Amino acid sequence: MNTRMRLQHSTISRVYPVQLANRYLTSRIIPLIAVAAVALCVALVVIVVSVMSGFLDMLRASGRTLMGDVVISCPIRGIPWYEQLIDTIEKLPEAQAATPLIDTYGLVRMPYPEGSEKEVVTANVWGIEPQGFNRVTDFSKALYWKPPTSPEAAALMLPDDPRLKLNQNILNDGLDLMKSATGEPGLVLGMHVSIANERMRDGSYRPRYQWFMPRQSVTLTLVPISAKGTIAEPRERVFPVVNEFKSGVYQIDKNRVMISLSEAQKLLRMDAGTLYDMQAPPNADGSLPVLGTSPAKVHKVLVRAKPGVTPDQLQAAVSSAYEKFAFDISQDPSKAVKAPRVESVTILTWEQHLRDLIAPVEKEREMMRILFSIVYLVCAGLVLSIFWAIVQEKTRDVGILRSVGASRLGILWIFLQYGLVIGAIGGLFGVGLGWLVIHNINFIHETIGQDAPAWSYITSFLIALVSLAMCVRGAMTGVLLSTLLWLVLGITLAIVGAGLMLHRGTLIWDPSVYYFATIPDQVDWFTAISTWFGAVIFSVLGASIPAAKAADIHPVRALRYE
Amino acid sequence: MSKFLLEAKNLRKTYTLGHVKVPVLRGASFTLAQGEWVAILGSSGSGKSTLLHLLGLLDECDADSGGVWFDGDPVADLKFSARNSYRNQSVGFVFQFYHLLPELSVLENALLPNMVNAGMSWWSKRAQAQKQATELLDAFGLSHRLTHRPAELSGGERQRVAIARALANQPRVLLADEPTGNLDTKTGGEILDLIAAKHRNGLSIAMVTHDPAVAARADRVVKLVDGCVAG
Ligand SMILES: Nc1ncnc2c1ncn2[C@@H]1O[C@H](COP(=O)(O)OP(=O)(O)OP(=O)(O)O)[C@@H](O)[C@H]1O
Ligand SMILES: [Mg+2]
Repeated sequence: MNTRMRLQHSTISRVYPVQLANRYLTSRIIPLIAVAAVALCVALVVIVVSVMSGFLDMLRASGRTLMGDVVISCPIRGIPWYEQLIDTIEKLPEAQAATPLIDTYGLVRMPYPEGSEKEVVTANVWGIEPQGFNRVTDFSKALYWKPPTSPEAAALMLPDDPRLKLNQNILNDGLDLMKSATGEPGLVLGMHVSIANERMRDGSYRPRYQWFMPRQSVTLTLVPISAKGTIAEPRERVFPVVNEFKSGVYQIDKNRVMISLSEAQKLLRMDAGTLYDMQAPPNADGSLPVLGTSPAKVHKVLVRAKPGVTPDQLQAAVSSAYEKFAFDISQDPSKAVKAPRVESVTILTWEQHLRDLIAPVEKEREMMRILFSIVYLVCAGLVLSIFWAIVQEKTRDVGILRSVGASRLGILWIFLQYGLVIGAIGGLFGVGLGWLVIHNINFIHETIGQDAPAWSYITSFLIALVSLAMCVRGAMTGVLLSTLLWLVLGITLAIVGAGLMLHRGTLIWDPSVYYFATIPDQVDWFTAISTWFGAVIFSVLGASIPAAKAADIHPVRALRYE
Repeated sequence: MSKFLLEAKNLRKTYTLGHVKVPVLRGASFTLAQGEWVAILGSSGSGKSTLLHLLGLLDECDADSGGVWFDGDPVADLKFSARNSYRNQSVGFVFQFYHLLPELSVLENALLPNMVNAGMSWWSKRAQAQKQATELLDAFGLSHRLTHRPAELSGGERQRVAIARALANQPRVLLADEPTGNLDTKTGGEILDLIAAKHRNGLSIAMVTHDPAVAARADRVVKLVDGCVAG
């Protein structure tokens, strides 16, 4: 056995490092302060990271809500024979469902204001097959208006609230894009398209009674564009509004309206029809010779992945399925209109498709990452320097221990355990504190959002008064420390009281600025656990580095340390 | 087998303060025979403590100059672990300023060298070590102070704890650096009585002092002058 082996063996098998670490941990108040400091640092990191990454995840998730996972699009020419394409795709093992989509722009004439000059807004119009669309996206969850869920909820509304008179079928009407009472095809508006919905502080909406949209009709104008890119006569149609939807993404909720696929195809002249031969000379009656039927077309096909299949995997599968579909059509003599070749359609994952929307979010995430790192570094530095100061102060003890024969590894082991115990316990408390705060963050936020109740500042003024009295008493009996502490407590409470009294509810997380009604309240456990490990590592480092430094110098030098 | 238990030959020690080199020991030699009590006299700043630290392996002498021999063996050859056990077993050190661990009780401070020396077998040795330490502290008149912290003791009491600690592993040499330097004559006399009692039981002692009255109790007195020992 060589010397070093024996040395290490003998150090680990000694009990004095454990006993001394234990003594250092239990006989002073400093370890408690260190535990509190580590706990606060860990809690800070856990709270900030959990809330921010929760926010970014929510933003991404809602971007996906109305898209599916993969989008096939051919914006101007359109995709003919799309039913066959959807059949092909739905047979893929990677695909859960596929649905056709018309995606165009149009004008919506609103029912307001009073008078003949109505407001007209531009909108992104989606023609959907509601049932299929719901299978691919979470459309039904996005529909906003429902009848009051309980008599209690209804009792909270004013007697003339239009929500009280909602048709019980409103959800189904929205889902079918049809007004069941009359059988008319209906239209669903994004939540922010009209001026009628007022966003409340808690993120819910209250209709402005007169213009509650599900009781109104709007006029939709669409402009058909031929495959060659020429514009035909615009067509318009009046649609009753059957419901409104909220995706959670402001840009979508502000611009998009939904109608049924067949209505959109009719308005855009993309429905099935007779195909005439434009090149041939006209028939005797002046009509053109018939070539066959022109199939209905759509701009896009949305595909949803089976659980466990990534959008990228689905994208690859859908691309080859499309290639096969286009080939089959080209070989089919009964179909005069051919499908665009795979090179002229774009097949993108939802992320690629929504790049414009997601790019800023990604930028934000990057910025957050930098902010997190700074918070992390500051906390790590704080923990390091706390331990540094505590252990530095013990340099003389290290000299004493060395002078009675303690080994350098033994010294290191004492302080390593010291840091380990404080880091682990402090980290645990920090994670617990972070969890508590995050779980109640919406409650805390709401409380901050309200004016402080009178009892809170009255209590704090009263305690401040008592503290100041104690301070005067302390000054008369000549106890400096308690005088000082009571004075600080009194002044702090007086300031807190004044702050509470002047506090006017402000919402930091304003739902009209952020898209979401509530702050994410889930702890990011990966962050929590890695932060705990970080706390332990920095505590151990902070404690062992000065300990190693003190153990390395000659014992007398450590003894002389002031 | 050397005739000296502890021997220092031609020790040199120079401190460097900034650019200034301060030579403290310039070839000091010192011997301590088995069972002998030697007092080292010298004015303040003459390097008495420095010499004692070198003897106790708490510091290092300048390279290429002399060395220390314990029981005939050069301590310069000792490995790290052997140096630790030299400090732990072979010598006991008493400092002018006590140097007790503030977080430990009187008894625990006195047991510190036993604790440091013991491995896992500590739990079985502990009772024996505690009995020994308690007896020693008892003899030093500290039986009612065992659980107190050093901060609660007087200077004389602290120095007695420090001596008990130095003797915990029954070393052959006691190195004492002005053990009575901060105490009044009466208390200092009591402490010297304790040390003298141990000396009669065969303990070899090197004791630094600048008090000739204290030095008078030793078997032999040497003087440190200009970094050298004058007999
Ligand atoms: N770490 C150090 N760095 C620089 N100089 C030092 C150091 N230690 C001691 N000295 C110097 O060495 C000289 C001798 O110091 P030492 O402590 O050995 O004296 P001493 O004889 O014990 O004095 P006293 O009787 O006052 O205790 C002093 O001048 C002191 O300033
Ligand atoms: Mg001295």
